[in-house]
Amino acid sequence: MKPLRRCLFIGRIAARQQLAYRGEFLMRAVAMVIFMGIFMALWSTVYTVSGNATESGYTLRDIVWYLVMTETVMMSSSRIFLDMGEAVRSGAVAYTLARPVSFPLFQAATSLGTSAPRFALNLATGALVVGLGVGFGAGSLPGLLAFLLLAILALLLDALIGVLIGLLAFWMEETQPVFWIYQKLLFTVGGLFLPLEFFPDWLRTISRWLPFHFITYAPARAFVAFAPGEVARLALGQVLYLAFFGTLVALVWRAAQRRLVVQGG
Amino acid sequence: MKSLGLIWRYLRHNLMSAMAYRGAFVLQVFGMLLNDLMLLVFWTLLFQRFPLLNGWDLTGVVTIYAVSASGFGLVVAVFGNLTRVAHVIASGDLDYYLALPANPLWHLLSSRTNLSGWGDLLFGVLLYVIVVPGGWQTLPLYVLLVILVALIFCAVGVLAGSLAFWLGQAQDLAAQWFNATLSFSLYPVDFFPGVVRVLLYTLLPAALVGSVPARALLQFRWQNLGLMVVFTLGAMALAQWVFFRGLRRYESGNMIVTRG
Repeated sequence: MKPLRRCLFIGRIAARQQLAYRGEFLMRAVAMVIFMGIFMALWSTVYTVSGNATESGYTLRDIVWYLVMTETVMMSSSRIFLDMGEAVRSGAVAYTLARPVSFPLFQAATSLGTSAPRFALNLATGALVVGLGVGFGAGSLPGLLAFLLLAILALLLDALIGVLIGLLAFWMEETQPVFWIYQKLLFTVGGLFLPLEFFPDWLRTISRWLPFHFITYAPARAFVAFAPGEVARLALGQVLYLAFFGTLVALVWRAAQRRLVVQGG
Repeated sequence: MKSLGLIWRYLRHNLMSAMAYRGAFVLQVFGMLLNDLMLLVFWTLLFQRFPLLNGWDLTGVVTIYAVSASGFGLVVAVFGNLTRVAHVIASGDLDYYLALPANPLWHLLSSRTNLSGWGDLLFGVLLYVIVVPGGWQTLPLYVLLVILVALIFCAVGVLAGSLAFWLGQAQDLAAQWFNATLSFSLYPVDFFPGVVRVLLYTLLPAALVGSVPARALLQFRWQNLGLMVVFTLGAMALAQWVFFRGLRRYESGNMIVTRG
């Protein structure tokens, strides 16, 4: 239990740090308003041009609310790899070795703590904007609860992948390009911009085996089209990938420690 | 002319510095190229289902990406400090540029390069060469449009950054203004309702760094090019005026630093 309590404490400090800079924090809501405005305009055009009330099982309201949920998760991501890269380059990583929590676990807890207040802000802002734009009638209460559960697992998965990218700083001078590719995989095969139901069959099949759709598509789909069986399948997929990436982080951290040379100081 | 020489020398110097870490430079350029390419996957999937949306097809949207990415890449590669103007003002770092006998605005903007900007520029050029119809005959027009787009981005960056002269800590607001212009520029302006469209031709001139130059390249009309030239000149004049007006309010941070 002790490591869990320590992680919760680290996460709480990271969350409070976010709230300390209120102006910067609230400015994130502006970005959410802009993106939702763009998506509402784009999808209104698509549905007007097609003349159909539903496309691949989604109404206009469904698709816009789906995008609120994917963007809420995406824009709550912490980019922890930037801090980790800086810690490795500056040598500050050496100080973390003395902490009672390992470096990757500390970073994952910080990442989740950073994401929590952003998540609440993005969800509230996005819901308000699209509610006023296309109406509040999407989803259901069980769908919302399923969304919250899958979103927590999604952010945990995202934090682990972020830590993995950050650990690459032990081998690479610059890890940002790796993050860009990861982010664009979320945009595309992750279903951030377009639900998997809109994909051609071959791409949907590939996407369902990859981890990316468990981060963006899964929580949003659970909200707009709640089905207990599908939610359970998506949650199981998230847990399996959490175990996979957790193991990978532990292995990479072990290899990284072997490369670490502390030059006194 | 003096400022152009300064910008050219900084560009050379910045590129040589980047080459000292060649691996990081190549990784950033090709990472950004791949990043941009993956953005087109969404449009490809969308246009496969809906081939024509409000007069725009996949080629039209790819042309928007070609001019917008080229212009954005060019401006942040040459003026790498463009997105840091507010930070430089608020932190008192402007002192360094004021003490030297060069135009402080051009000096500030050009004293840094953004490595990933070279990737955006390469992406835009590749799209133009491979996808944009019209062949090499449109090359002079493409080059002119890219320069105009770059200058409009420059004007927006300077105007947004100059807010720091009046507001102090305006980094986030400036970043949102600049990023909103960039984000909206990648979508056809005809998708947006009337009120938003007015905004996209004025305060957030996304239409003038995306849809308008793309349309000028696909179906040339003098009106479109004329609109671009007049807007660019006006925006650049306004940006310079606002920056130097704000400079009168600037208070030194009395910071002492050593620069190599």
